[in-house]
Amino acid sequence: MTAPDATEDGGLYAARQKIYPREVAGRFQLLRVLTVWVLLGIYYVLPWIPWGGRQAVLFDLPARKFHIFALTLWPQDFYFLTWLLVIAALSLFFFTALAGRLFCGYACPQTVWTETFLWMERLAEGSRSRQMKLAKAPWTSEKILRKAAKHAMWIVFALWTGFTFVGYFTPITELAGKIASLSTGPWETFWVLFYGGATYVNAGFMREQVCKYMCPYARFQSAMFDRDTLIITYDERRGEPRGARKKGSDHKARGLGDCVDCTMCVQVCPTGIDIRKGLQYECIACAACIDACDEVMDKVGYPRGLIRYDTQSGLEGKRRHVVRPRTIVYASLLALLVTGFAVTLSVRNEVGVDVIRDRNALYRERSDGRIENVYNVKVLNKDRDAHEFRISATGVEGLEVDYVGPTVYVAPGAVQSVPVRIRVPRSALQGGTDLVVSIEAVGRPDLAASGKARFIAPTD
Amino acid sequence: MAPPGAEYTGAMRWPRLRQDVAIVTWPSFLVACVATMICFAFIDPVLVGNDDYPPPAFATRMSGYAIGFFFFWLISALSSLLTLYLARTARPEPPETDKPDDWTRSAP
Repeated sequence: MTAPDATEDGGLYAARQKIYPREVAGRFQLLRVLTVWVLLGIYYVLPWIPWGGRQAVLFDLPARKFHIFALTLWPQDFYFLTWLLVIAALSLFFFTALAGRLFCGYACPQTVWTETFLWMERLAEGSRSRQMKLAKAPWTSEKILRKAAKHAMWIVFALWTGFTFVGYFTPITELAGKIASLSTGPWETFWVLFYGGATYVNAGFMREQVCKYMCPYARFQSAMFDRDTLIITYDERRGEPRGARKKGSDHKARGLGDCVDCTMCVQVCPTGIDIRKGLQYECIACAACIDACDEVMDKVGYPRGLIRYDTQSGLEGKRRHVVRPRTIVYASLLALLVTGFAVTLSVRNEVGVDVIRDRNALYRERSDGRIENVYNVKVLNKDRDAHEFRISATGVEGLEVDYVGPTVYVAPGAVQSVPVRIRVPRSALQGGTDLVVSIEAVGRPDLAASGKARFIAPTD
Repeated sequence: MAPPGAEYTGAMRWPRLRQDVAIVTWPSFLVACVATMICFAFIDPVLVGNDDYPPPAFATRMSGYAIGFFFFWLISALSSLLTLYLARTARPEPPETDKPDDWTRSAP
């Protein structure tokens, strides 16, 4: 708690020790910066991509339709979304079992946005030591200017993030126009500010605390770990006893290990832990300490890898197993789910029918001696083209279907309600029975669907 | 640069109150997101209470979704709060033999 490099920030609720991660260069840092660019690039650019006259990816909540490129999902397709979430969760398990917390270190939004905010902080306040000096310094005009610049950058970036987020749910070009003319609706304004504010607070202030106190994955990922899971680890046998030494001196003769105790691995750590104390759940596996240590090892002329990606088995000098029951089970489950998803999606029915009984009357006895029931048939056309539909029914001998026909026009991606009267001969039925109401597009027998409808007749 | 051997404890903990706020609001937020998704996949908010009288519960779908989301968040936050309260006020467990932070112990 008394780390000399830590200063208190005027945080949200009480003082905490702020961590100033030291900037680091190296292959994993490069990989991380690359991932940040790719992921944020996708996030900020995707809503601007057009697709056949509409936004390529648009979760159109007001119209209850999800557009994902050529695919349009309806509330009836909700299970696809659930299925996708299950696939996402299982992929997380699979990659965790294989390579530990890859997600945390490289792909988690919390990490990605924190990286970006750290970068902006460095832009405004300079390197780690300058930042710490600035925090302790009195409030000069330079300090005010630098702090203001940092927060201005953060706020603009956070608001843009919030705007982009809402742009996934409302057409983003319209939204941009509304914002430019300050005429956004109350909920749009609210969600832009809500998501922007969350980004600002999460990436600017809460940072690693989110991983430590709020993230459930950080706690339960150990269930996916085993001795062959890739972790970031300090080779204690090689490094200890640690200690400073003169360059070029024979440290082995002095009984020292390879760790020169430069504390670089601790200074670069975004969660402020000392990896040399062993694996800790605060470690988000960002590999910054590997880069920092490799650089030091290069400088002092020792082999790299004192801190490295390795498995527990590997550290103990045993064989490493990538293929093992755990990974086989996860991989085959994943393959099964992904294949199932692709197949189901490709054979998905593009039309649907919903039959709702008229609530006002059970049945009507006509003067010609037949019994009539009235329904509201909803014809759903999920296809990209408009179609003419025919409605038919089966289930009772001699029934007749009456609707405004002979065909019903349904626009692409629309639902058409059709009042339908079904009549059956009085002698054909006692009480009630279930009918099957079917729809079929004219000239497209593959676009067909059917639904059940209850037909009610007098019992005497 | 820090003096060599400076103590980095890695134990930069949030104060209790802030932890409590975080672990009540955040999990309930996640649950509320899922609940909203499931609920409104099956229920169209403009059809809720949409008879002649009383007037519809929500003016637009967007307000329906938003109000639904905050309702779920509130309810799940209350549940989180009660759980936290019960966990915090329980008679302390006998000390564990393992270090509480040693999560690697569950690895086979």
